[in-house]
Amino acid sequence: MSRLSYRQYQRRTLLAITLYTAFMLVVWPSVHTIGSLPLKILLALAPLLPMFYVLAQLARLIRDSDELEQRTHLIGLGVATGVTAALSLLGGFLSIAQVLPLDGSVLIWVFPLMMACYGVTRWYVARTYGHDTACAEEGGFAPAGRLLLLALITGVAAVYGWRHDWDSFRIGLLCGMAGASALLGLLLGFVRWRSREQSGE
Amino acid sequence: MNNRVRELRTEHAWSQADLAERLDVSRQTVNAIETGKYDPSLPLAFKIARLFGLSIESIFEPEPQAATPMVSRHPME
Repeated sequence: MSRLSYRQYQRRTLLAITLYTAFMLVVWPSVHTIGSLPLKILLALAPLLPMFYVLAQLARLIRDSDELEQRTHLIGLGVATGVTAALSLLGGFLSIAQVLPLDGSVLIWVFPLMMACYGVTRWYVARTYGHDTACAEEGGFAPAGRLLLLALITGVAAVYGWRHDWDSFRIGLLCGMAGASALLGLLLGFVRWRSREQSGE
Repeated sequence: MNNRVRELRTEHAWSQADLAERLDVSRQTVNAIETGKYDPSLPLAFKIARLFGLSIESIFEPEPQAATPMVSRHPME
């Protein structure tokens, strides 16, 4: 089996995440209205497929990484596991104490939270080793550009949902994602621009 | 740890990407080693030494430290 490059990994996971998001926004809400139990189970568990695909790609990327990259992956995954476990415990205690009303649906945020923590930690650790993520992906799309593209896509989806009477939870979620992605993208772009100015590129 | 990897690479007229390909690591890892931000594992250090046809100690050397007296593990000795 050939070695998986970071660009291939990004391309594949981006496609899987796009499919997952589209499925969750357009098809998955009908899980409440379907009467047939087997179909309901099938629909409810369908989002697991892209998730397992992303995990498999991540495992392959880590397996094919060199020793420094494996170290950054390990630190990223360690921090992500710790933060997710601590927040889950915190939420559980507050829920049992009836301070925070949480139901089972909050569990769907565990995986995205873990992946977000992993990504941010890995980016930070890689930077301490002098790894500039913006130029690391030679010929690739810079992180700031990707985040701005994500902001645009989620923003367009939010407008589409608003015009087609989607529920306020989905529209709010999309607006939040669009705003956060745009802010983070602009911030990363600014940091990159400043470091270029300072290095006189 | 100080090292002569950049110097040796330049002597061979290799880019960081060339060296990374020869060592089967990423260009970022070569950069981190050259700038002293990452000390390679023993197998990778051997690989680098073998590639340049030198011994490990002629490429890598520990940071110069202030002279410290030899301390016995047992203070009463």
